[in-house]
Parts: sequence; C-alpha cells; structure tokens
Amino acid sequence: MIAGALAVSEAGFAQVTDLGRRRGPRFGVPVNGALDQRSARIANILVGNAEEAPLLEITALDVEFVPDVDILIAVTGAACHLTVDGVERPSRQPVSVRAGETIALRHVHGGLRAYLAVRGSFDVPLLLGSCAPDSVLGFGARLGNGASIPLRRATVPIVNDHFGAELYRFGVPQLSADRIVDVTDGPDAEDFGETADRLFDEPYLVGPASNHIGLRMTGSLPDRRVQGEVLSRGVPVGAVEVPPGDELLVLHRGRGVTAGYPVLAVVTSTSLDVLAQVRPGERVCFRKTTVAAASARARADRSELDSLRLRVQSAFTALDALSTTTTGRNLQ
Amino acid sequence: MSPASVVISFSGNAALRVASRLADREAGWRLVHHLARFIDAARVPGIDGVVPTYDAALIEIDPVEVSLEQVRDYVAHLIDGLDADRPLTETPRCFDIPVLYDLDGELDLQVVADAQGLSVADVVRLHSESTYVVRCLGAPGGSPMLDGPPFPFPVPRLTSPRPHVPQGMVSVAGRQATITPAPAPGGWPLIGRTPLTVLDLDAEPFVPYEPGDLIRFRPIDADEYESLRGTRMVAR
Repeated sequence: MIAGALAVSEAGFAQVTDLGRRRGPRFGVPVNGALDQRSARIANILVGNAEEAPLLEITALDVEFVPDVDILIAVTGAACHLTVDGVERPSRQPVSVRAGETIALRHVHGGLRAYLAVRGSFDVPLLLGSCAPDSVLGFGARLGNGASIPLRRATVPIVNDHFGAELYRFGVPQLSADRIVDVTDGPDAEDFGETADRLFDEPYLVGPASNHIGLRMTGSLPDRRVQGEVLSRGVPVGAVEVPPGDELLVLHRGRGVTAGYPVLAVVTSTSLDVLAQVRPGERVCFRKTTVAAASARARADRSELDSLRLRVQSAFTALDALSTTTTGRNLQ
Repeated sequence: MSPASVVISFSGNAALRVASRLADREAGWRLVHHLARFIDAARVPGIDGVVPTYDAALIEIDPVEVSLEQVRDYVAHLIDGLDADRPLTETPRCFDIPVLYDLDGELDLQVVADAQGLSVADVVRLHSESTYVVRCLGAPGGSPMLDGPPFPFPVPRLTSPRPHVPQGMVSVAGRQATITPAPAPGGWPLIGRTPLTVLDLDAEPFVPYEPGDLIRFRPIDADEYESLRGTRMVAR
C-alpha cells in the first residue's frame, strides 16, 4: 500500500537499499546492500521496522528530501548535521517530520555513509527478495534530483504537544572512530609464506578507486610464493587479495562472486562495518583475530541490537496507549 | 562420499570453503554442486547460500545464527551421503547460441588465432563444434562458466583489461570460455558476440541456465545477427 511519497530535492550520492541480496551469490551476483550493516539495522530498529526493510544509504554528499505525508525517520551511520525545516534534530533517535517539511542531511563526517530509515519503509521493486541496487545487472539506481520514493506508511508526529520535543531518548552507541580492521587467516594464507604477516606491519593507505566492490590500499604487500593459475572459486565478502600491481584489494559487498586470486585473509563480519566508513586518504590497521573471537563479537553486537529493539518496541507501545487515551491519535 | 574427499576450511567468520580432493575433476565438480543443491533445498536457518564453482563451494553463513563448527560438521555429514557419480542433471537443457564471430578484426579473434598458431576459421570451427557444459555461474551477472574449446594452448588474458565489455560478448581465456550477460570490465579476449539477451530480470531465476546444462555456439552472419537482436536466450 502506498501512503505517500518522499520527494528527492537534492540527491547527493544516495540509493535505496537493504541488508542485501543473500540469494544472489548462488546465481553469480554479489550480495550488495548496506555496506555498514549495523548502522542500517539500527536505523530500521529506531523506527520500528524489520531490520531488512529498504532504507536510504547516503554516501558523503549532502541530501534533501520532502515527504508529502507525516513520517517518522531515524538517521544513523557516519556523523552528520540533520535538520528538519532548518531546525537541528538528533541523529540515532526517531525524529518526526510533518508533511511538506524539508529533511536536510549535511556535512557527513567522521565516516563515509549515513543511513536514513522511514517508519513503514519504501515501496520499491525487489530482485531475488532484495531492493539493493546492482550496477552490473542494471537493477535499481542511485537517486536523482526530482525522484520520488513511494512511502508505505504515514506516521502522525510523536511529540509532546506543549514543547515540541520527542518523548524518548534511546541510548545508541556512536560509531568508533578508530580504523582497526580485524581479520582472520584466509584459506590460502599459506600461499604467501612468511610474507603473510606483512599485513600487520604498518597502516595501509586507502586509495581513491575504493568503492562498494572493494577498497584498494597501498602499503607493505605480501608476496604470493606459489605460482600457477588458480581456478575461479567463490570468494567471501571481506577477502583480502593481492592482485598483480602495487595495491592490496579488500573485497566488500559488491564483490564479484567468483575470482581466481588466493585469499590471504578475511575481514570479520563486524569489521566490514568499519571499512564501510573509511574514506579514501585515511589509513587503516589490520589486526589478527580468531574465528571464535570474531563470531563472539558478532553475537555480542547483535544481542545489543536485540535489546535496543525491545526498548524501542516498549516505548512505541507505551506511546500508542498514551496517545490513544489523551489525544485520540496513535502511531498507526 | 567419504568426508575425506573434501577439505573444509574457514574463510573468515562468515563463510566456509569446501574443496574437492577427488582426483577425478568431473566427480569433484559434481560433488560440490550436489552439496550446494542439497543445502539450497534444505533451507537451513543461518546458512545464507552456497556458491559452487569448479572444484569448490563457498558456504556463506550468519555467524550469529549458527557457528562455523556446526556448519562444518553438517557439511561433513552431508558429504557422507552424496554420490559424486550421480549426474548433476538427469536431462540437461541445451541452449543454442548464435554468434557473429569477429571476422572484421574489431575484437580479439585474430589475436587468439595467432597465439594458437591457427587460422581464424580454425578457431571459429573449434569454438562452434564443441558442446559445452555450464560448470558454474560466475561474475559478472551470472556468466555461464564453460570449459574452453579444444585449442592447443591456454588463451592468454589481455595485458590491459577493457574497462567496459558490453553484454552478449563471447570470450575465451585460459582453458575457459563464457558469454558476458551484463556489461562489466573484463580481461578475457573477445571472439564474437551473440544477439541474444541472456538475463531476464523479471523472471526468477533471472539466469536461464544452471550448472549441468549444455551450450552450443552457431556461427551466424550480420543479417541474422540483426534479425535476432534482443531475442531471449531459451533452451532448445
């Protein structure tokens, strides 16, 4: 059902995406989706959506949107300056926006990608169950100025009628500013002999050709000691490869599903979110970890999100009851 | 098969690689594809998907839902019950692909012929006389990965890859061959082009073929190319 539309008055570099096309790799297409999965999940949680609901990924540049119905939004990811009709509003909290007001997200800093979720989400086409754009297939696209994104649901403003302030504050941790990337040994680490540990010698400089497919870095490069053609194999997101040339290649969610380079190391699932926020020109340090530690970290992170979802749900449930008795309105 | 017929390695904390150790490459290929199909059909919670290729399968998981150790044990158990001698597909579909070979020297056909010490006509004949098995779906966009034609030597890759290879290109490299279903950069020498549209994003799945299906190439002329332009690729 379509309840309204979000008009794009300044598109910047933004697209509608979700947690990715998990069924894609089996058909030879990358998973794609939000590069900072944790921030995308948090944005959706803060507006009461399913975590995999479509939302906006905003990369680096300023954006401006105007909804034609009242909506509830949340902005997460890289720090930025969020205003609604010129009034500064908080990130990492649900924010009510009235029909016709201008949502502006400017000065993305301390990271590269911000996420904007709308309660009820967007009505957009899916391919294999995901709306994530795939530039190779030509599915989905970056937003253009003047575009209009169909909204599934309107949400009446949740504000204190007397003070105009929101009625809640959820403690949401900020992104870490350090650029430490945890990796585990790759299945082909042996191919690099003792040079494999060069990965941990010194920081790597992230190059300008980095994107959602992968980050290209310069620094102390491990040498492949085993020669010969490698059969194309499935490569995981996060694979650290040393292709011919003078750069290290770290694959991200837009990576080609198969490749013929040996996999030296693999970035952990949580550190992929760190890489999503690294800008070209920044330096990153790789740190060796174990599969067990990486998986424990992933579980701890997710249970933090589960507890946030419960807090948001209870707040929305309480507000629902409150607004129905005092004003006759509810969140629906 | 005995669990010793594969090597299972962790590939980060969200994926495993299952590589065949069977001496028979055909059997190894069938084994990893049988494994992928079984897991895909079983819809195991916590397993996102499987990418089978020539001699290996990458299993992607959600490390919050399942542990790598659990999936490793599950895979070892499954391998025990799989028969690598069973054909992948009882009745493979066959796709006839019309190809306008690069006789005008616009692409790399001459370069490929020179490197093989063959005439252009010989390369076209060898490429179009074979029947190819779709080994796996690869990048970009679900390309059908095929064993190469019976050329005397492996085909060298281009020294500088093309930044943009349009869809429909027919190419060879090493001992492999493929069709490019979607535009992408590419370092494989191009020997011709097909007028067929390979992908149909409105269909599910959007790739018409699957591993185990057969592909044949048929030389056509420029007039036929024009008349077939945009036709969907469908099985015979």
